[in-house]
Amino acid sequence: MTRMRPTFRRLVASTAAAGMLVLVGCSAPADPDGSSGGATLVVATSDEPDALNPVLNYGVDGASLIFDGLVSRDDDNRLVAGLATALPELSPDGRTVTAKLRDGVQFHDGTALTAQDVVFTYQAVLDPTVDSTLRSDLDMVESVTAPDAATVVFRLRYPYAPFVQRLTLGIVPAKLLSGQDINTAGFNRKPIGTGPYRIDSWTPGDRLVLTANERYFGGRPKNNRVVVAFVADDNVRAQRMRAGEFDAAELPPKLASGFDADTTFRVQRVPTADYRGVMLPTGNPVLADPAVRRALNLAVDRAAMVTGLLGGAGEPAFGPIPPTSEFADPSIIGKPTADPRAAEGLLDAAGWTQGPGGVRVKDGRPARFTLMYPASDTLRKDLALAVTADAKKVGIEVTPAGLTWDAIDPRMKSDALLMGYGTPYDPDFVSYKLFGSRFAGQGYFNPGSYRSEVTDRALQEGRDQIDPALRKAAYAQFQKQLAADVPWLFLTYLRHTYVLKSSVQGVVPRVEAHEHGVANSLWWNIDTWTRS
Amino acid sequence: MADLAARPPLLQVARSRLRLRPGRAGAVTAGLVLLVAIAGSLLAPLVWPLDQSAVALDQTRLAPSWSHLAGTDDLGRDVAHRAVYGLRVSLLVGAVAALVATVLGGVVGGIAGTLGGRVDRILMRIVDTIAAMPHLLLGIFIVAMLRPSLGAVIASVGLTHWLSTARIVRSELLSLRTRPFIDAAISGGAGRLRVLTRHLLPHVLPRLALATTLMIPHAVWHETALSFLGLGLPPHLASLGNMINDGQGSLLTGAWWASLAPGGVIVVVTLAIAVLAARWRDRLDPRVRAELHL
Amino acid sequence: MTRSGRLAGAGAVVRRRLLVAVPVLAATSVGMFALGAASPVDPAKQYAGAAAFTASEENLAQLRANWGVDDPLPVQYLRWISNLVQGDLGWSTSRHEPVASVLAARAGWTLLLIGVSLALVLVASLLLGALAAYRRGGLFDRALRAAAYAVQSMPVFWLGLAAIAVFALALGWLPAGGLTDVTATSTSWPDVAHHLILPVAVLAVSQAPWFVLFVRDAVAESMRDDHVLAARARGLPGRTVLFGHALRTALLPFLTLVGTHLPELVGGAVLVETVFSLPGLGAVTVAAALGSDFPLLAAITLVTTAVVLAANLATDLAYAAADPRVRLDG
Repeated sequence: MTRMRPTFRRLVASTAAAGMLVLVGCSAPADPDGSSGGATLVVATSDEPDALNPVLNYGVDGASLIFDGLVSRDDDNRLVAGLATALPELSPDGRTVTAKLRDGVQFHDGTALTAQDVVFTYQAVLDPTVDSTLRSDLDMVESVTAPDAATVVFRLRYPYAPFVQRLTLGIVPAKLLSGQDINTAGFNRKPIGTGPYRIDSWTPGDRLVLTANERYFGGRPKNNRVVVAFVADDNVRAQRMRAGEFDAAELPPKLASGFDADTTFRVQRVPTADYRGVMLPTGNPVLADPAVRRALNLAVDRAAMVTGLLGGAGEPAFGPIPPTSEFADPSIIGKPTADPRAAEGLLDAAGWTQGPGGVRVKDGRPARFTLMYPASDTLRKDLALAVTADAKKVGIEVTPAGLTWDAIDPRMKSDALLMGYGTPYDPDFVSYKLFGSRFAGQGYFNPGSYRSEVTDRALQEGRDQIDPALRKAAYAQFQKQLAADVPWLFLTYLRHTYVLKSSVQGVVPRVEAHEHGVANSLWWNIDTWTRS
Repeated sequence: MADLAARPPLLQVARSRLRLRPGRAGAVTAGLVLLVAIAGSLLAPLVWPLDQSAVALDQTRLAPSWSHLAGTDDLGRDVAHRAVYGLRVSLLVGAVAALVATVLGGVVGGIAGTLGGRVDRILMRIVDTIAAMPHLLLGIFIVAMLRPSLGAVIASVGLTHWLSTARIVRSELLSLRTRPFIDAAISGGAGRLRVLTRHLLPHVLPRLALATTLMIPHAVWHETALSFLGLGLPPHLASLGNMINDGQGSLLTGAWWASLAPGGVIVVVTLAIAVLAARWRDRLDPRVRAELHL
Repeated sequence: MTRSGRLAGAGAVVRRRLLVAVPVLAATSVGMFALGAASPVDPAKQYAGAAAFTASEENLAQLRANWGVDDPLPVQYLRWISNLVQGDLGWSTSRHEPVASVLAARAGWTLLLIGVSLALVLVASLLLGALAAYRRGGLFDRALRAAAYAVQSMPVFWLGLAAIAVFALALGWLPAGGLTDVTATSTSWPDVAHHLILPVAVLAVSQAPWFVLFVRDAVAESMRDDHVLAARARGLPGRTVLFGHALRTALLPFLTLVGTHLPELVGGAVLVETVFSLPGLGAVTVAAALGSDFPLLAAITLVTTAVVLAANLATDLAYAAADPRVRLDG
C-alpha cells in the first residue's frame, strides 16, 4: 500500500509546482527596460495594416511614420515640402509637375534616396500586376520620369488641379523591390523607408515596434521608440488604457467619456472630415421621389444623434465638405434638430397621405424602404436605428438590415445604405467619384446612381481649374445642388476620440480623414512627443 | 474472505449515494423556470410586442426602476423587454438546431445501431473523426461562408452537434439488440421494420429526447459565442449574445445593468436544464455522459 | 507481455485510423471548398478591404485575374488541394501573407495556452473530483458541484471580462491583455508567464466543470469496485484508498476521454484569446471569418482537426501501452 502514496505526493508536488510558476510569473518585472524616462511611447489602435508598403495602400495620405512622400502636411493639413526641396507646382497647362529631391536623404539601410526610387514607387502603383488599390487615384498619370538623379517629372493625361496633394505617397527603395513580386515581398512585413522611425519588429495581431531614425532628415525624433499595439476589441483597449498600459489609444466616444473625470488621463476629441450619412438610391421607387428625400432630411434629429450616440463627439453634417474646410459653403448649414412638421408638410404636398398603420401612401405605394448597414459597425447600426425611429415619426417605415459588405453590394442600387467617407485634403478626392454621374452604379462610387448635370459640371470645374477662387465657386455650387437634390442624407461629422495620459506632451491634433490607424491618427507627429 | 461479507450492504450504500441528485424541490423549481421561459418566449409577441428597431435617444442608460425593470441600454431600449425576445431567439436557435442535430444523429446512429458490424464500425470511425473538429471553428467557418444570419447560426450549431446524438442512439440500439425480447420478436417472425418501430424506437425515443434537450443550452451558448465574435445575428436584433456584446461597453461606462439581464437569463435557463438533466443522467452510460459534456 | 509486444499492433492501428481519417478529411475539404465557392463573397473586395471603396471596378477585376479566381471550380479545387498536400496552404487574403506563416507565427501561442490550461485542469480536476467523490454528498461535494454547474452555465467570454474587471482593473495585480509588456523589447518567458496567468486561469476554470464532474463520478463509481471495497474493508486509511485505489482505477478511462474534449478546449481558446487580445490563432480566425478569408479558415480548421486526431491516437496508444487489458480497436 505504501507504493500508492507517491501518487498522491506527486499530485501535490505538481500542483505546488504549478502554483510556483504562477508566483514566479507574478514577481516578474513589468517594465524590463525601465522606460520611465519617456524613451518609449505606446499607442493603441484597432486597425492593423495588412502590409507596411505605401504601394499597397499603407499611409497613403502621409504621416505614415516609416515613409515620406515628396510632400507632407503641417498642423493645418497645408502641404509642405517633404522629400522635395520645395512644394512642386503644376505647369500652367496643368499637365506637368516637376519635383526636385532633397539632398542627402538616406533610407534606413543607409542607401541614398534618388529620383529612381520615386519613379519606381509610382510605376509600381500603376503596374496592373501589382495588387494596388491606389491605381484609380493616379489614373491621370501618363508617365513618371527621372531626367537626373535629383529630379522627377510627372506627365498627366489631363489637367488635374489637386495633383500635388497626391504626392504624399510614401517612397520605397527601388533596389529592394525591383524584380520582385511586390504583392508578396518580404519587404511588406519589414519595410525600409526614409521616415522618422525604422521598423524594429512587427508581431501581427499584437504590436509594431518602431525605433528612432537617427539620420532622419527632419531631425531625430524626441523619443527613442514607439510601440503601436493592435487591440481590435474596443472594450479590451479601454480596459488596457485604464490599466495604464498605453500612452494614447483611440476609443469610441462613449468609452472615451469614461476617462473624462480622471485627471491622470486627457481626452482629445479631434475634428474630422469623416462623415456618416444615408445613401438614398434613385433606383428605389419611394426614394426616387425628391419630396421623400427632402422630408427625411428634415425629419432626422442630428443633434440627438450627436449627443445620444456620439456622446457629444461630433457635429451635425449637411454636406460632404466639412465645415473646417476652406471650401465649405456657409449657406449649407441646416437645422440640427428635427422639424417633423415641415417634413410632414412636404410629404402631404407631394401626395403622400396618411395610410393604415401610420405609414404614408401615394398611388397605392406605401412609404417604405430598407436601410442597410454593415453589421460589424456599431456606430452605423446605431445611426441606422436612429434614422428608422425619426422616419417613423413622419410616417415613413424603414426596415434596418445588418449585413456583411458582400451582401450589401448587390443591393445598393435599390436599398438605402449607411455609409461613411470623408477627406479633409481636397474636395475633389472622394466627391468626384461619389456624386459624378460617370460613376453611377460603379461599385462604391455613386452606388445610388445619382445624376445631375449641374453637379457634374461643378465637379469637373473644380478639377480642371487651377485658380483657387474658381474652384471655390465651383464647389459652392456643387454643395448647393446636393443640398437641393439630397442624394445622401448627411447625418454627422465624427470627432475621433483619443485618450492620452496627462503626462504626454507635444500632441497637436489636426483635422483627420475617414481612414486613420497607424498612420494619420492623433500620433501623426509622434516624433515630437515627450513625456513629462 | 472476510470483506466479501460486508460487500452487499456497502454496495447498496454506494449505489444510493453514488450520485447526489438534486432534490425534488430543486427539480420542480427548474421545471417551473423552464416552463415560464418557454411560455414567456412563445407568448411574448401577443402580450408584449417589441419593435426591434425602436430606439429612444432621450432615455439612454437609465438605471433599473419600476418603469424599466432591468434599466435601459445605450440606445434607450428596455433591457428586460429585449431579454425576453433574446431568450425567444436563443431558444428558437437551440430548438431548431437541436432538431436538425437529432434528425442527422438519429439517422446515422440508427443505421449504425441497427445494421451493426462493419457498417457500424466505419460509421462510428467517421463520427469520431468529425468529432475531432473543433465545433466553434467549424461553426465560424460555416457562418463566414454563408454570411451571418439566423439560418447560418442554426446550420452551424445543428451541423456540428449531431455526433453525440448519433452515438447515443447507436449505443442504445446495440444494447437493445442483445436483449431477449428482441430475439423473441425476431424469432416470432416479426419483420425488421416492425422490430424497429414497435420494439426499438419506443426504447430509444426517451434517450433521444434527453439528448435533444441537453443540446439546447449548448446551442444557446454557441449562438452567444458567435454573436460575441460579431458573427451572429444582425446586431440590431434582440438576441442574448448581441445584448451581452452591447452591454460589454456599458460595463465600463457604469451601466452594469445592460448585460446583467441577458447574462442572468442565460445562466438561469442553462442551470435549469442542467438540474433537470442531472436527474436523468445516471440512466445514461458514462461514455455517453461524457459525450454530452455533462 | 512486454511493452513493445503490447504495441505490436500499433502500426496496423495507425494505418486503419489513417484509412478512415484521410477520406473523411478529404470529403470535409471538398465540403468546405464547395461552401466557400457557393459563398457570395468576392475575394477581390475582401482583399482590398477599406480600399475597395475607392478602387475602381477594373482595378478589382485585375485583382481577380491575378489570382485565377475566375477559373472553373474543379480546377480551383484541384489547385488548392494539390497545393495543400504539397504543404502549400495557400495565401491568406485577410492577412496578406502565406497561410503557413500565419499559422507558424501564431499556433505556438495557442498551443501553449491550451497545453498549460489542460495541464492545470487535469491536476485540479483529479484532486478536486477525487476529494468530492470521497465524501459524496458532503459539504465540499455539494459546493463543488454547485460551483461546477454555475461555471458551466457562464459563457467563457463573460468569465474573461469579469476576471479582467477584478484582477486587472480593480486590483491591478495582473495585466489585462497582450502577450508581453507593451514596452518590452523581446519576448522574455517571465513576462509571457505573467501575461498568461489570467487567460490560462480563465480557460482552465471554464473547462474545469466537465472534468471535475467526470472525475468525481468515475472515482465514485470505482469506489465500489471489488479491490477498492476490499481495501476499505481491510481498514486502510481513507486517503490511501482514495488516491491509491479508486483514483488509480478511474484515471485511465478518464485520460482517454480527455482527447474527446480537446475540440471544446480549442473553441474556448478562440474566445479567451479574443478577450485577452493574445496573438494566437483565435483572433486571426475571427478576423479571417469577418473577412471571409477562405484559405486561412479552411487551413486552420483542417490542421486543428488533424492535430486533435493525432492527439487522440497518441492517447489511445499510450493507454494501450499502459493497460494490458485494453485491446486496440479496429
